[in-house]
Amino acid sequence: MRRLPLAARDALTNTWLVGPATLAMLMFIFLPVLIVAVLSFTDYQFGARSFGWIGLENYEKLFGSALGRRAITNTLLYVAIVIPAAVGLGLLVALGLHRMMDWAPQLSNVLRSVYFLPVAATLVAMSVAWQMVLHPSLGVVNQTLVGLGGEPRNWLSDRSIVLYTLAVIGIWQTVGYNMVLFLAGLVAIPPELYDAAEVDGAGGNWSRFWTVTWPMLGPTTLFVLVITATNAFRVFETVATLTQGGPAFASDTLVYALYREGFVYFKAGYASAITMVFFAVLLTLTLMQFRIVERRVHYR
Amino acid sequence: MTVITHLEERGSNRAEFDPLGGIETMKTLFIAAAFGLAATAASAEQTEIRVHYAIPTIWAETQDKLAAAFMEKHPDIKIVIDGPAEGYADGVQRLLREAVAGTAPDVAYVGLNRWRILEDRGLTKPVDDFIGDKAGEMGYTPALLSLGSYEGKQHALGTSASTLVMYVNPTLVEQAGGSMDDFPTTYDGIIELAAKINALGDNIDGVWIGRHDWRFQSLLGAHGGRPMTEDESDITFDSEAGLKAAGLYQRFVKEAGMKPYGQNEARQALPAGTLGIMFESSSLQKRFEEGAGDAFELTVKPTPIVAEDKETVYFPTGGSAIVLMTDDEAKQKAAWEYIAFVTGPDGQKIIVENTGYAPANAKVIEDKAYLGAFYDANPNSLVAHTQVANHAGPWFAYPGAEGVAVTDLIAAAMVEIAEGADTDATVKDLAETLRLQLGMK
Repeated sequence: MRRLPLAARDALTNTWLVGPATLAMLMFIFLPVLIVAVLSFTDYQFGARSFGWIGLENYEKLFGSALGRRAITNTLLYVAIVIPAAVGLGLLVALGLHRMMDWAPQLSNVLRSVYFLPVAATLVAMSVAWQMVLHPSLGVVNQTLVGLGGEPRNWLSDRSIVLYTLAVIGIWQTVGYNMVLFLAGLVAIPPELYDAAEVDGAGGNWSRFWTVTWPMLGPTTLFVLVITATNAFRVFETVATLTQGGPAFASDTLVYALYREGFVYFKAGYASAITMVFFAVLLTLTLMQFRIVERRVHYR
Repeated sequence: MTVITHLEERGSNRAEFDPLGGIETMKTLFIAAAFGLAATAASAEQTEIRVHYAIPTIWAETQDKLAAAFMEKHPDIKIVIDGPAEGYADGVQRLLREAVAGTAPDVAYVGLNRWRILEDRGLTKPVDDFIGDKAGEMGYTPALLSLGSYEGKQHALGTSASTLVMYVNPTLVEQAGGSMDDFPTTYDGIIELAAKINALGDNIDGVWIGRHDWRFQSLLGAHGGRPMTEDESDITFDSEAGLKAAGLYQRFVKEAGMKPYGQNEARQALPAGTLGIMFESSSLQKRFEEGAGDAFELTVKPTPIVAEDKETVYFPTGGSAIVLMTDDEAKQKAAWEYIAFVTGPDGQKIIVENTGYAPANAKVIEDKAYLGAFYDANPNSLVAHTQVANHAGPWFAYPGAEGVAVTDLIAAAMVEIAEGADTDATVKDLAETLRLQLGMK
């Protein structure tokens, strides 16, 4: 048997290595996305035997109707609160715990686990705990408020504050995860850089942070930002378990609306349109990450 | 072919120490084959019926008991129970998926407000021919039949029922100077009492009702109103009855200090003993009684009726219904036997005793032999079940693709009314929105 030329053999090996994964991805990710994309132009009802083409009507409804707009603005508001708070607090906690390693390593480790607990716990189960804590008459929060002479609030059933309550729970859940990522970034900074900075006259805490820590954390920060953003856009569990989008759609978010339309109202066509919009947002975020990583966050 | 070769090999191997081994193996094989055939013949006589149900936390044990009791009576029919769905919403989704894939079960328990989704897609088989003219004899009253009929066809039969009742905390009522023996039977009386309970303390609440389509429909029915005309061509809840019913949401807040609790918050407050009166589904009775424990004697009272003409009163009924889904004629017959059993007095007795739901069969209530002892031991159940027997009515599902979506709009309107929006304007706006969205205009 004649042997194939080297290049051809290489190509075969590559195909063999990449092929199965690619095929699986095409079958289980791209094909379904394609079907959903097609469905988003129809009025298909889940379980129905036929459907009609309605063009962009589903998209018009999402961006044009009061309900669709509310889901979008709610999601954007939620994201706008959660991203800066979760990233900022994550960084603060990580810096604190990192410095604490020098004088109280045991305590630092304990605190690290404590901050990571919300991440490890199931959010649905934690939501039930939050429900008890925030209960208008039985909850710890309101009882403390009353004890301090404050006015009790309906954290989950007042239309004007329910979204902020959910955002705080979202932050609580994300800080620990961001902290772990930042800690990993902090440990990876070579100590020589701090020595060099000190030699160059940057001895104070602030100047050390701005000249060494922050630039060196660039890639980590970007990664944390993107992860936090995708998670915030995906907010669902807390909404589904605590408020079901209510009261009166005050805490309706994009993914909850998608679930509601598709699986409660059975409007598969409209739900597909929401999915496509959601998909586009996540895709943009991912592409942004790639591009910025390529261009900016290098410190060579 | 491979199997046979393998057997021959084994036979010759054995021949070394047991000359008859090969023959023995063949013999066993023949016997096994013969038994196999016999087994197939037996299962051909036994019809297998696949059953779908939801909410295993309430139904798992009951379903097993129903199947066992049924198969004892009908040894020729085998009941196979599918893995349950988490809730009725999940259940319907699964049935739709299975119908598309051609693997739908033969009969299914679905929510009383959801069988129309299946009917709409042609998945339910009417059972009128099986019932014939024996409805009364079998214990299906017109009120009970109305739960599962559409356009003159019986698509579903109720299997368990619940309506809106009042759960009362007698300790709080007495602290507020009220009396359980002389408990108010009008909404004015309830509001007055609730206001007194509410004044007992910061943590104590007088009354609560969910801002939700089903609760609103119940209040509407108590006022003698209907959500739609009979032919479902127009919305009718913007009538005087509807305005009064919706107005109660505002009166509860303004006059009795009702808090905007979510459903879960209220369901925690009642067993905790901080809520005086709660309008809720009678299906939660067992859970609330267990939650209250020995702390207070949780008492069930019927929802007050306002309409002068008691005939116009109805309470939309929650619970479950059973539908026939199979196309196969032999299976349909066997499946009907099962449906008749679970909706009949024997099946209903099992359901009532195990779930706490009200029965959907008149015979089982009328004939004390079935549940007399149960009601003596559970007076709260008697109150709830009597209300079902007297005033059960369909839980109106709005027609068409937007049918489920508009129920959330109704709930949102109740939130607005409770928070102080003008009742008349809000209800009339809501009715107009629904007419447009449901294509009635």
